[in-house]
Amino acid sequence: MQNNGWDEFEIGAMLRSFDGVAKDIPLKQPEDRNYSSSNSFTASVADWRIEKPLFNKDYCIDCQFCWIYCPDMSIIARDKKMVGVDMDHCKGCGICVEVCPTNPKSLLMFPEQADEEAELAGWPEKDKEEK
Amino acid sequence: MSEIKKIKNLKDFSTSADRFEGANLLCPGCAHSIIVREVLNATNDDLILSASTGCLEVCTAVYPYTSWDASWIHIGFENGSTAVAGAEAMHKALGNKGRLKQPDRNPKFISFAGDGASYDIGFQWISGCFERGHNMMHVVLDNEVYANTGGQRSSSTPIGSSATTSPAGRVSYGEKKNKKDMMAIMAAHGSPYVAQVSPNKWKNMVKAIQHGMEVEGPVFINAVSACTTEWKFAPEDTMALQDLATDSLVFPLYEIIDGTELNITYRPKNVVPVEEYLAAQGRFKHLFKDEYKYLIKEWQERVDAKWDYLQKREEARV
Repeated sequence: MQNNGWDEFEIGAMLRSFDGVAKDIPLKQPEDRNYSSSNSFTASVADWRIEKPLFNKDYCIDCQFCWIYCPDMSIIARDKKMVGVDMDHCKGCGICVEVCPTNPKSLLMFPEQADEEAELAGWPEKDKEEK
Repeated sequence: MSEIKKIKNLKDFSTSADRFEGANLLCPGCAHSIIVREVLNATNDDLILSASTGCLEVCTAVYPYTSWDASWIHIGFENGSTAVAGAEAMHKALGNKGRLKQPDRNPKFISFAGDGASYDIGFQWISGCFERGHNMMHVVLDNEVYANTGGQRSSSTPIGSSATTSPAGRVSYGEKKNKKDMMAIMAAHGSPYVAQVSPNKWKNMVKAIQHGMEVEGPVFINAVSACTTEWKFAPEDTMALQDLATDSLVFPLYEIIDGTELNITYRPKNVVPVEEYLAAQGRFKHLFKDEYKYLIKEWQERVDAKWDYLQKREEARV
């Protein structure tokens, strides 16, 4: 990308979200899109996180509550299935964990430096105190 | 005419490909982007969008990045609605002259604005758009404060809320004026569809948005947007706050068709006391001191009176 200073930025300039001809964007998932370098999709806010959500698909019922309520488009859902979390764009707000209805939750927050495999192995058991 | 996107359930909805991208600079847990996603995912048609100055605009268009995958214009504080109205008028004029390159496409014209840009600063412009009858939709992201500039009061700020220009302290309990009834004002313009929605009731919201896109004429949508920074709650509680807002009837969800026909679109099974809604937010913390407790009672009475009024209007069909 050509880097212009703020005073070289022309009035009425246009930023393109995609390179080349962009067709049928609403029908294409991110991996099929040709993002340009001025699309914020190419940037990352991963360093905002203090805690990260980890996804345990053993307990997931694909209700998609996390997908609809994620403010950062970070829940990857394909073919009606929850696939995982986009760690480049997740800001670690924790909404997905709060709205997860399963018992135990299939998404939980862990410190950013936590090891995924170790945490998945030690996932909490089902909460027995359910009424 | 293009078809309405069929969304039967949440699994269906989750096959949508977002046209709003991550790595925008909205706070973690901001309800703004949840609202924007639900609006944009409600259709597969082309979109012509604008955002008036506010959190949404400054956070999604930080040079050299844009977070929008549709035509989006960066515009001033007051004239987001008129920019979109102008585009709509041009589209209509070119269509009449037969000069549209793809006349079969049916773009949707949507302007986003915060409550500051809708209730106060951009009010005259929105009123103009609605009076001229452009075929557009104006979506208000109502977080009841000028969150972008540090939490000054707007005319949407409710009584008792502590904002930086109406702080609570030794002599004051914060904001003293009640919230402007924007829904009634916009319905009085004769708008074909005016609705109050909340992203936690996604099905209700998507239905309202799709209806608004289909009707001819200016549509006003007031979306409740919990602000983690200015309402002062933990970012993971955004959806809990949205639930409290709708279930305590502080934000009743209803629609007004053609300025007269009022329908309540969501009736909570268990109505939560307003006190719980207030207690969940730092901006109302001072109301729980002994000398201000009477305000909570007044809040409850006000909310009940409003709910009564809405039910009576729904019954009377006027």
